[in-house]
Amino acid sequence: MTELTRRSALLGATTLLAALDSALLGTASAQSGQPKRGGTLVYAQCSGNRRGGDASNAKHPYYMIDLITRSAYNTLTWVDEGLNIVNELATKLAPTDDKLNVWEVTVREGVKFHDGREVTAKDWASSFELHRRRNFASQQIKSTEVTGTHSLRFFLDAGNSEFPFVLAEYDNVVMPANEDFQKIGLTGIGTGPFKIVEADPQRRMVFERNENYWRKDQPFLDRLEVINREGQMESAINGFRSRQFDAVLNIDPRLVRQLSNEPETDVVPASSGDQAVIILPKHPGSPFLDKRIRQALAFAIDREAIVRIVYGGAKFGWMGNDSHMAGTDPMFAPRPVKRDVAKAKALLAEAGHPNGITLPTLYYAPQWPEMSRYFQVIQETVKEAGITLPIEERPNDGYLKFRQGEADVTKGNYHKFAYTAVGPRNPGISLFRMRGANNESGYWSGPAHDRYMDLYRTAMVTADAAKRKAIYAEMQQICFDEAPALLPAGRNNVLIKRPNIRGLNNHPQHWSITWDGVWKA
Amino acid sequence: MLIAALRRVLLSCITLVMLTVFIFIATEIMPGDALDVSLSADEIAMIPPERLAKMKQDLGLDRPAPERLLSFLGGVLTLDFGKTLISKTPVTAIIGYPLRNSLILAGAVLLLAIPLALTIGIAAAVWQGRAIDNIASTGAIIGYSIPEFVIGTVLVMIFAVAWPVFPATITASTNDAALTLLAASPLAVVTVLIGSIAYLARLLRTGMVDALAKDFVERLRLTGIPEWRIVFLHALPAAIVPSLTAMALYAAALVSGIVVVELVFAYPGLGQELVRGVTRREVHVVQAIALCSAALVVALNFLADMAILALDPRTRRA
Repeated sequence: MTELTRRSALLGATTLLAALDSALLGTASAQSGQPKRGGTLVYAQCSGNRRGGDASNAKHPYYMIDLITRSAYNTLTWVDEGLNIVNELATKLAPTDDKLNVWEVTVREGVKFHDGREVTAKDWASSFELHRRRNFASQQIKSTEVTGTHSLRFFLDAGNSEFPFVLAEYDNVVMPANEDFQKIGLTGIGTGPFKIVEADPQRRMVFERNENYWRKDQPFLDRLEVINREGQMESAINGFRSRQFDAVLNIDPRLVRQLSNEPETDVVPASSGDQAVIILPKHPGSPFLDKRIRQALAFAIDREAIVRIVYGGAKFGWMGNDSHMAGTDPMFAPRPVKRDVAKAKALLAEAGHPNGITLPTLYYAPQWPEMSRYFQVIQETVKEAGITLPIEERPNDGYLKFRQGEADVTKGNYHKFAYTAVGPRNPGISLFRMRGANNESGYWSGPAHDRYMDLYRTAMVTADAAKRKAIYAEMQQICFDEAPALLPAGRNNVLIKRPNIRGLNNHPQHWSITWDGVWKA
Repeated sequence: MLIAALRRVLLSCITLVMLTVFIFIATEIMPGDALDVSLSADEIAMIPPERLAKMKQDLGLDRPAPERLLSFLGGVLTLDFGKTLISKTPVTAIIGYPLRNSLILAGAVLLLAIPLALTIGIAAAVWQGRAIDNIASTGAIIGYSIPEFVIGTVLVMIFAVAWPVFPATITASTNDAALTLLAASPLAVVTVLIGSIAYLARLLRTGMVDALAKDFVERLRLTGIPEWRIVFLHALPAAIVPSLTAMALYAAALVSGIVVVELVFAYPGLGQELVRGVTRREVHVVQAIALCSAALVVALNFLADMAILALDPRTRRA
């Protein structure tokens, strides 16, 4: 046995004290949570980047590496992590009357562009000349009218009680006014927390702190670097492991368990995220023309199993209610009943299939990496109700055209029993997607659909949020009763980061993440 | 010699024309178009079909195929590859730097690979059947057999993750200086280098073994010429000539064919741009890259043929 000498005892005590000191001080510093100024943060983003930017337009919000516009630009409103709308550069936003088709906005004063010029309502009006032509959610804006240096009006083609959400779209940023809407925004000058200093199209963007940012004392970081690694998850994670990246956004859900066990890695889920839509076609000859078969399928799917097996539990996945609403939306109405295999069997028997049914092939494309597992779980769980569900993976290439079939139905190439993805947007846009004219509803029609659309139209001109919530609840109940399409479960967006990165909140809308309050400890 | 050269020029031109038409057909049968893939599911769900049709019309996506083929052929003749479908940027501006970067990577690899492969190939041939030959031949088979993405991933795991001495992924910009780009890409270079040395060393060893077994080498030995002179001044040129075409094609493939390595390391080269072009259905970009790659193969093949014609008088009679 080794003898304890005075020297080794002293050395041990010193080491212990030093460790305690370091640990206590470190803890105190961390617990203080005081944001620290400075540092460079490098992150990789892996989501699909649809915008084809090049050297001529890589700083333009429509063409820069997708979904990161909020680093350099601001919008009038912002959707927070709980999917609530809050003002950003708007200080007042209200409809002028009950029709809700004219909205008056007062914009924040004292906000400066990166070139030092103050933002006025003219810049907003000029910016929206582009947005109303190019942003899909803004096409309802017929015109704008500048009513003062810091106020303007939006004229819509119809009432929209959720117009503030339109203003939060990540494309709808303010840029210095330009008479030619095709040239606006090309300089990359915005009002955001960071200025663009380098833009390598589709590959890399470098930002530096905007010293004149309207949010005082923010941002905390001196420099932000974004590396685009769309479709290159392994490359992004290797970069994180080798400490090239401080964070990686849009992590493949299948990697979450593995990454949770890695050192110096925080796995940060958002409260919700995208979900899968299973389109139930209602063309001639389709079994889904029978509501009971649609309902039977809805009752037979084990949604909890999807969340558990595919996403690893409620921390990383959520159960849908067969509407397009996101699970954490304040107006989301949970599915009123749980899985009921007996009821599914009864419905099938009632529909003339007492011994079960073999459905047409469900086609999916691996737009998300977990999709194979997702549909395998569905396939296995519906077997219990006597439903045989053949599934087939199709290539991403050409999947859209394949699943949509041909518009000319006389050719017999109908839309397919298939899947697509849907992002978490505001209730108005989300619920409008179940309209009969949209492929995602399987071209749903009938009295229930008509009632659904009537409710939608009413909601669009109902200013009172509580009343609107009741309307939306009824619309979601119709989705539950009718099952025009199935939206069984969704994923929570996941990012990974180093523990010393603070203030980085994940967001159900990965395009709404902000970097204003992020700092390095 | 002149007639043989002219015949090869003519053949090269015919090959290029055929390739141009083939490339057009290949891009034509790709499902979907640039507009489809530029829109998110949310956008597709919200935009009315008639507006989508108008957008396609505005982008010229509804033009008949023959009209587009003629326009493509006309453009190729004047080296004008057109503009991107969505942002209307000249394609040459899109592929300029990636082409340069691929040439840099291929050049760096060849610069290192050729002398190393020559040394290994010559040593293995000179000491044929001995330990050095066995090691070189086995190493070459292993190096050539292992897919590049496996080599790349193993190198990343060892030298970037476990022992972080090199970057795992390349974050340098597309327009960075050549040296900056190479400094950021050591693992990518080594990954391609391993396969290249393996391929070229095998090629040279075979050529050298053949050459050293030739009668003229035996006669040179009988005249008392030192062995090193026989190897380097007589056998080596004879070994290289038949390998020239294969080496030229390999060099061309390096420029256009290292897509996997570019993706593993995110190297900003032609391969990555091609994948992006295909993904976004930017057919003009895809056509330009495919045509550049094809032209490079044809050009290097032509140069190899010319070199063979110059070095081997027997071929001039063919």
